[in-house]
Amino acid sequence: MPISSRNFKWIQLALLFFAAAWIAGTSWLSTPGEGSRSASPRAGFPAPSFTLTDLDGDPVSLSDFQGKVVLLNFWAAWCPPCKAEMPAFEALQQAYRGDELVILAVNTTYQDDLTAAQEFVVENNLSFPVLLDMDGKVSNAYQILAMPSTFFIDRDGIIQQVIVGGPMSETLIQTQVRKLLAEVP
Amino acid sequence: MLPILQIGPLAIQTPGLILLLGLWFGLTLAEKLAQIDRIIDPNAIYNLALTALLAGILGARLFYVARYPDIFFNDPLSLVSPNTAMLDAFGGLVTGGLAALIYGQRRKLPLWPALDALTPALSVLFIAAGLAHFASGDAFGIPARLPWSIRLWGEYRHPTQLYETLLAAGIAVLVWPRRRAEQPAGVRFLAFVALSAFARILVESFRADSTLIFGSLRTAQVIAWGILAISTQWIATRLKHQSTAQPLEEAKP
Repeated sequence: MPISSRNFKWIQLALLFFAAAWIAGTSWLSTPGEGSRSASPRAGFPAPSFTLTDLDGDPVSLSDFQGKVVLLNFWAAWCPPCKAEMPAFEALQQAYRGDELVILAVNTTYQDDLTAAQEFVVENNLSFPVLLDMDGKVSNAYQILAMPSTFFIDRDGIIQQVIVGGPMSETLIQTQVRKLLAEVP
Repeated sequence: MLPILQIGPLAIQTPGLILLLGLWFGLTLAEKLAQIDRIIDPNAIYNLALTALLAGILGARLFYVARYPDIFFNDPLSLVSPNTAMLDAFGGLVTGGLAALIYGQRRKLPLWPALDALTPALSVLFIAAGLAHFASGDAFGIPARLPWSIRLWGEYRHPTQLYETLLAAGIAVLVWPRRRAEQPAGVRFLAFVALSAFARILVESFRADSTLIFGSLRTAQVIAWGILAISTQWIATRLKHQSTAQPLEEAKP
């Protein structure tokens, strides 16, 4: 159906006017507030808080590391790609020594063999904290659907990147970490 | 929400899969529909889109690498890693757009008819983008208790991804080429742009992830209003300067 240019002028005016009124009206009615973001396991949201015990039985909380960049990894001893990326995490741990960057590896113990996990940690001399999720509550809070899953959390506790599946290349891990470390707190 | 499709050891990223399917389906349709207007060689449309896509992916990776050259120097194999986290969106858009322009120039494709021919592919891609947002949970809505609210990220929210998908589907129906174009070349594409901007203005009001500008205005709405104004003005100009019999004139290289 051809439209004459005269008719179109009216359509154009009506569209622009309605759109402007809609923008002004709806922004006056509701303002999206940053504060409405509750903790959720996705990029742009505050990381859900948790407290778990490490292999020595000491409690470790995510909130202990505020002001630091956190690499939060979920893994299991039965998962080959999870184990494959651990040496890259250890290399990062050696490079930063927990000063600005903290690596937390949450073992999904509720569906893993604890002895096998402990053996793996010892054999590979992993020096970063390995936490035990005995009842699966933390894995559930982070909606772990596939293993490994890794969350890159910035200094303000906001998740900036979620990588599902692996193993991640060292390059990917390093570029993501460096991006977060470069941000001024 | 189904961000990951776990099939045995394979973790498939559903949103990416939906976008790829949308692209393939849209391009296949655009290729077929290009025969209606008979201005653009259907093959050229497919190749144009493919060139832009490949150049876009390459550019997105190279712009990312340029930010961390030393890390990639130590691990050159990562240059070809399929991981989408190592892409730079801006770099991809610039390179893809440039590649499309160069390809169009070299093949002497008339600009407006080529954009018209690409419109069906774009409109299918926009539907796929809405579905991809639905799968990933991105572009989510503000909290609301409505009979059609969806539970997402800990709250009942407006299903903005579905609003987006439905509007995109409506736009696709409106701009779909049924018979040989009666409007001047470019009007189909510009109408698609204008309607999509209008749809974005509507949906953005229900989104919870908006950034603000000038106090309390949503940035995306202000930009979309500008696009709406420019694209409708462009339509007006093309309608004024060309009678409906003329579009084929322009088609001559």
